[in-house]
Amino acid sequence: MEKYTLVIAEKPDAAKRIAQALDVSQKPAIMHDKRVPYYSAKRDGEIVVVSALGHLYTITAAQKGRSHYPVFAFKWVPRYVAEKGASHVRAWLETISKLAKGAGVFVDACDYDIEGSLIGYSILKHACEGKDHEAKRMKYSTLTKEEIERAYDNLLPHLDFALIEAGRARHEVDWLYGINLTRALTTSANKTSTQYATLSTGRVQGPTLKFLAAREKSIRAFVPAPYWKVTAQVKIDGQAFGAEHGKRTIKTKEEADTILNSCKGRTGLVEKVVTKQFWQSSPLPFDLSALQNEAYNLFGYTPKRTANIAQHLYLDALISYPRTSSQELPHTIDYRAILRNLNRVPQYKQLTAELLARPELRPNEGEKHDPAHPAIYPTGNIPERTLEAPERNVLSLISRRFMAVFVEPSSIQSVKAYININDNRFFLGGRRVLKEGWLRFYAPFARTAEIALPPLKGGQTIPVKKVILERRFTRPPPRHNPCSLLRKMDQHEIGTKATRADIMQTLHDRKYIRDENIVVTDLGFEVLEVLEEYCPTVVSVRMTRELEHRMNRILAASEKREKILEEAVGILKPALEKIRENEKKIGEQLSNAVREARTEERAVASCPICKTGKLVILYSRKTGKRFVGCTNHFQGQCNTSFPLPQRGTIRVPKKSCSLCNWPTVQVIAKGRHPWTICLNPECPSRNGRRGKIEVQSMH
Amino acid sequence: MKCKVCTRKAVRKGYCERHVRAYENVTKNYVVWNKAAELPWREYLSEIAKNPVTGEWARDVAEYLSRTGEEPNVKAS
Repeated sequence: MEKYTLVIAEKPDAAKRIAQALDVSQKPAIMHDKRVPYYSAKRDGEIVVVSALGHLYTITAAQKGRSHYPVFAFKWVPRYVAEKGASHVRAWLETISKLAKGAGVFVDACDYDIEGSLIGYSILKHACEGKDHEAKRMKYSTLTKEEIERAYDNLLPHLDFALIEAGRARHEVDWLYGINLTRALTTSANKTSTQYATLSTGRVQGPTLKFLAAREKSIRAFVPAPYWKVTAQVKIDGQAFGAEHGKRTIKTKEEADTILNSCKGRTGLVEKVVTKQFWQSSPLPFDLSALQNEAYNLFGYTPKRTANIAQHLYLDALISYPRTSSQELPHTIDYRAILRNLNRVPQYKQLTAELLARPELRPNEGEKHDPAHPAIYPTGNIPERTLEAPERNVLSLISRRFMAVFVEPSSIQSVKAYININDNRFFLGGRRVLKEGWLRFYAPFARTAEIALPPLKGGQTIPVKKVILERRFTRPPPRHNPCSLLRKMDQHEIGTKATRADIMQTLHDRKYIRDENIVVTDLGFEVLEVLEEYCPTVVSVRMTRELEHRMNRILAASEKREKILEEAVGILKPALEKIRENEKKIGEQLSNAVREARTEERAVASCPICKTGKLVILYSRKTGKRFVGCTNHFQGQCNTSFPLPQRGTIRVPKKSCSLCNWPTVQVIAKGRHPWTICLNPECPSRNGRRGKIEVQSMH
Repeated sequence: MKCKVCTRKAVRKGYCERHVRAYENVTKNYVVWNKAAELPWREYLSEIAKNPVTGEWARDVAEYLSRTGEEPNVKAS
């Protein structure tokens, strides 16, 4: 029997697209083995396309046992060997192994980046009996038919071993950090506690928590300082405007009063009007971080959500590979073909036609370069399925950004009028767009608030309606949100574009941080304090960054994976020894923190009935159902209790009801928006709901 | 020795690692408040304790100082 070419893709959707693109009739035969789908495509010969499910291999300790540390000996094994919930991986690997036996040529078509290269390599090495050294590599940035065909016709002669080594180093170093530090913390905590708790940390998790804790400390220790602000309400052409005093912050009440008194009952005189014109360059093409930032600011999507949406759009061949740090759109990308495709979308018709009419298309590019992929761009393909609203938003954002990068800068005019009121200088600011440029292409995502000012000229007198004195307070630094944290991690070069969002999620899952505007919990502080005291090197941002740099140098073959691993062990060994020596002390500190965190998590508010007890979330011994009850119930002093929904996760927002000031709880259920319930049975918000229900039932 | 405000170990000036920073901010800012609004120490403490943007640890310290009548070790100019 003639041997076929076996193409290994990273995900089932990618396998399907590759098979469709490579089959002469675009209708490859789909087959199943143990429910694992694979495709047979006909081209010059037979091509069998099978997929992985992301990583099929993982690292595990060479020795058995789950609680001892340090652990420095490890091995790569199929995921089903090491992970409880990964039994389905066995069938997948068996199918790939079976298909490998009939293959003559092997092609790794996983995503061309560190993770994808490692996925393909592990499968070729372990499931295909060491075919990693003879396999060829497909390199593409979009899953469009044209690009897949081009990549298949121009296969790279071998795998990118530098990428693979870099991937292995990352996984192995992260595993060493994660397993050892997590075991050390968890073992310490559980030695002094009867309740089991997992306390994890990792190579990037620790420094990330450190950033957040530094901000949290500034916020919690913050003392506001007063300042005053004077605004004159002036009337120009019948319209009221607020002119700000030249001193934006007046530091003493005395000075503020003096200004206020001297302005009362006076008229203003326009001293001068200064206009400035400036150019606002078109935006840069999206790299993943920039896309995540923009999607958060515009739609409120978390970075992880945006990355997931972008991944779906990529698998649907609607955008290029999203996990890129490039801000470049090389000329090898056929801009005009993409614009012609986008021209089929009604809302882009006019804009793309304008761009296509230009003799030259030159994108505004940034400095960031990614050797593997260009910046994110749309393919212009029409979606083959109905996209969900968030997918439509992200696709529209990417499409409009792609168009905007080719357009000339916009021109903005700012106007500043200086108004003198009895020798006190106030000013009025305005802003308007003179030439739209790229703003028209990026609308509605462009943020240009125009402030219209009527025409003013020097010497003009203006009536002052009133002068307002406001006492204000300085504010603490803002809390990090998922996007600002992502930027911070990017800026300090810790973690990778593919892992940063997951690290944030892990910190949430471990309850070290909470809320969207991130708050570090007491448990987070305790874990960080232990790490800072006993192993400061593992939470050092500088050390983490240096390790990142060294791992990146593997890509240029100027660093060896083995050497980095040795060094990681060198950092971990003394740290773990120190934790071991102080296990009891650390255990007490951590188990107390875990206990307090658990109590805090269940605490709702003070009891509004007895005023001395605390309302906490409790579970009925009889029925197992949850409810809110008063802690004084256990002393037989208060029987206050409130029912709770039995489905979904209950969160305590620590905010009282805006209508009756009673405590509230938030319910988070799958597939629904979180909703808040006031515990007060007589709360008007409940009447409103009841009222609505009654009205509905009457119709 | 325990922190004057919580049960954690005191590291400086009778406060734990967390509250000592807040204590320093409370005392340092009194100079600013006094200059800005000529407030006596006790009134200042009550003002910052009820201000919603005051940090949790700073509020703990302000309430403690208010309760005990402890005077600041700073000169209000």
